[in-house]
Amino acid sequence: MTDTEFRAAFEQHKDAVYRFAWRMSGSEEAAEDIAQEVFLTLLARPERFDPARGALRSFLLGVARNLALKKWREQHRWVDLDEEAIELPPASFEKLDTSEAVGAAVHALPLLQREALILAEYEGLSLEEIAQTVGAEIGTVKSRLHRARENLRHALAPLKRENTTRTGEAWNR
Amino acid sequence: MEPLNDHELNRLLKQWSAPAAPASLAQRVLPRHTNWWQWLYHGTIRVPVPVGLAILALLAAFLFFRAPLRVAGPPAARTTVSLSDFQPVRQLEPRVVGRIHEGK
Repeated sequence: MTDTEFRAAFEQHKDAVYRFAWRMSGSEEAAEDIAQEVFLTLLARPERFDPARGALRSFLLGVARNLALKKWREQHRWVDLDEEAIELPPASFEKLDTSEAVGAAVHALPLLQREALILAEYEGLSLEEIAQTVGAEIGTVKSRLHRARENLRHALAPLKRENTTRTGEAWNR
Repeated sequence: MEPLNDHELNRLLKQWSAPAAPASLAQRVLPRHTNWWQWLYHGTIRVPVPVGLAILALLAAFLFFRAPLRVAGPPAARTTVSLSDFQPVRQLEPRVVGRIHEGK
């Protein structure tokens, strides 16, 4: 990979990689570290990217995903990656605006559900691309995405009432 | 509490925006272009410790064997004599020495 190609790839995908890392880690510092590591990996070992196996964006997000998972594992050594429980007390929404509340709810999802939801909802990847990125079967990804959305339906339900009472109008207009 | 429907959930999810990549990321990732003469002033060379030690050892060995110790001593005596060393006498002062007690 030439210097020009690398710069073009960086300019084209830096925001997607950073956004994904930020949403996964919830920290600007960690997101920048992850994004840096992703592009340095591409620079050092460009042969790891095989265009026949998928788009460069999916590859970069896959590297970012593995790094985010590694960081998460260092901090949550004994927590199940695909834990069903989601702990988000409704009272916590009172101090947050809608955007922060949604972020907190997504961040409270089990990691594998969270990554599937972020890749689908925010990065616009198809089920097949997500499956390639996270190294899972399409059916598994579909199931994780379904469970993530189910969890969020309940976790974010207080926002429906909040918005209705705050604005005094029907929330779902 | 009644859970959200698909439409409500999608609408809420869209409200969570993420920041763009900071400018500092480019500084950390992209290699800087510098002229070769700037490199002479600011460049660094990373040398692995074993290689550095080997270079130092070779340099020390080179200096040691190139300049052996010289012990100061008297200059060696010349063993040959050339004719040019013989000079003619500039002022001859003959002196006759006779027998003092010849008549006795």
